Amino acid sequence: MAMQAASPDQELRMNAAKLWHGWAVGCVIGMALGIGGCRPAPESAPGQPDRSSGRRVIGVIPKGATHVFWKSIHAGALKAAQEEGVEILWKAGLKEDDRESQIKVVEDLVNRNVSGLVLAPLDDAALRPPVLQAVGQGIPVVIIDSDLKTDKYVSFVATDNYEGGRKGGHHLARLLNGKGRAVMLRYAEGSASTMSREQGFLDAMTNYPGIALVSTNRYGGATTEDAYKASENMLAPFRKPDGGLDLDGIFCVNESTTFGMLRALQDAGWAGKVLFVGFDSSDMLNRALRNREMHGLVLQDPMAMGYQGVKKLMAHLRGEPVEKRVDTGSQVATPDNMNEPEIRRLLEPDYRTWLKEE
Amino acid sequence: MVNDAAERPIRSGSGLRWREGLSRLAPFLGLIAIFVLFAAIGPESFRSARNLETIARQTAIVGMAALGMTLVILTGGIDLAVGSVVALGTVVIAIVLRRADAANLHWMAAAAAGAALAACAGCGWLSGWLITRLRVVPFIVTLGMMLVVRGAAKGLSHEQKIDAPETWLNDLLASLAADQRWMLVPPGVWLLLVLAVGMTLVLSYSRLGRHALAVGSNEQTARLCGVPVNRVKMWVYAMGGFFGGLAGVLQFSRLTVGDPTVAVGLELDVIAAVVIGGGSLAGGEGSIKGSLVGALIMSVIRSGCSQMGLSNWVQEIITGMIIITAVALDRFRHR
Repeated sequence: MAMQAASPDQELRMNAAKLWHGWAVGCVIGMALGIGGCRPAPESAPGQPDRSSGRRVIGVIPKGATHVFWKSIHAGALKAAQEEGVEILWKAGLKEDDRESQIKVVEDLVNRNVSGLVLAPLDDAALRPPVLQAVGQGIPVVIIDSDLKTDKYVSFVATDNYEGGRKGGHHLARLLNGKGRAVMLRYAEGSASTMSREQGFLDAMTNYPGIALVSTNRYGGATTEDAYKASENMLAPFRKPDGGLDLDGIFCVNESTTFGMLRALQDAGWAGKVLFVGFDSSDMLNRALRNREMHGLVLQDPMAMGYQGVKKLMAHLRGEPVEKRVDTGSQVATPDNMNEPEIRRLLEPDYRTWLKEE
Repeated sequence: MVNDAAERPIRSGSGLRWREGLSRLAPFLGLIAIFVLFAAIGPESFRSARNLETIARQTAIVGMAALGMTLVILTGGIDLAVGSVVALGTVVIAIVLRRADAANLHWMAAAAAGAALAACAGCGWLSGWLITRLRVVPFIVTLGMMLVVRGAAKGLSHEQKIDAPETWLNDLLASLAADQRWMLVPPGVWLLLVLAVGMTLVLSYSRLGRHALAVGSNEQTARLCGVPVNRVKMWVYAMGGFFGGLAGVLQFSRLTVGDPTVAVGLELDVIAAVVIGGGSLAGGEGSIKGSLVGALIMSVIRSGCSQMGLSNWVQEIITGMIIITAVALDRFRHR
């Protein structure tokens, strides 16, 4: 293009001029922005009420925005915010399940001088630096759902996953009358919450010598599709010559493994013929429970997690003592109790009214 | 194009220069306009010194990868593997650091960064080699390499994130403590600025830079003029990988863990930065400072939307529209 027109010498000189020009302009603008920004005035202390509404602002950061689980947490946070008279800034990372995205959101809300943060960390180590930075600037942080490797937070509000796994184990054992052959499908290596559920289930099973755990070392993997394949592979050795299933009980540790296992059982025509207890809920799992293809679902309470997260943060801001660990509990839904209001609330969280959807 | 130019009315010299100056400044003006807009309608905290520092820190990773991508796009190529390369970089660093004993962690951190840069530059070189030897278009080769490298990162890390001991690497992009305020921005951002100036000089004065521009302007002509096209391309992709590795070092600094799933889709941010900054995917056009401004524009939008509490879907629509507008304006200027 222009290259061919100018002689190399001219070209060089032109380039030098262009270069100098460009960088000089860049530096001037950079300095202008820097000086503009370095005025001391705008740096208000954290916890100041928002100027536009006159209310305190709390940042709530989930792991993602689109799952029902996170929508329920959002609903719970809104409920608490209404009671406390504060404003909620609900912001997930732009890319769901991306650690870097979540770090950026934490940093942005810290710069925004929110009064406090409620965070469901995607990673127990990677989110530590931004959280410590927030705490260092006097912004208290409540951790929900998953743990963070630090003790600088106000409180850790989450399901006791070990206890949830134990409840699932005892429920299955009762259904089996304390005898039979059972399997457990794990979720993924390194996922702390599901690993505690697995341990809880295994520990509960030690109380029932009549139950033989014939397979507990298989992993379902991250997606439903992976879990479906893993379930098929897991069940294959237990197929009897007459087409039946040589198993009495099955336990799965989260929504994706439960659903994958359900699909595999349905495809092989075994659904309803084997006792099956899973974890978490979804429309498909609820229907299977109603049809007695499933016999139990251990349910967490995400709305309570969002609600308690904001409540504990506000209590801390008022100077009240707050317990370091808050268990939001878990319940076992069965085909028989699933219409009771308390269980129904967990099976079909009423997040839509709070989020003003529909 | 040639006919167009012939029919264009003759302009006075000063008019042309004015037009050209405006054209070069357009991304800058866009950045300022967007910044002023958010400063006016956003919360006060948006224009605080701390937030400017945060924007600089958050731009560093995309900016670093954009240095290499600018060179690649200048030759008329593209590198879709850069996001995966960043992830591989973080994984390699974490693996090396894990093996280190606590006594010489200082040196091991440097070694880990070096190993990551070597691995990433190697990936880039492999892309270049495949493109020139197999004569497959860069889009396809790097699309394949994106999956290959991502898979390698996941395999190396056994499909989970790797915790690593704390070293000075973690401070590269960490927010400055009160007693380090004199640095204005963290070392990682300074590194980016120094390398950006360096790359601008390379593009303008070095043989590789001139050859890369020649290849991007017209590959056939360049070949006929004796430019070693294949060698230039291999160097360019290797450098793309190298800068991807540096972006990986910065990414590790922010995560403090090796994460094989990080930076999915980062390549699109990097390409968008180069294109917003005036780069042409047809090759032959693009500048380092334009690409940096492009990266800054996207960070400012993200930060502004975040501080205003806008939903993610609003933010994504706004960013998308700005990319299209920026490139459309650029093409309009070229008519």
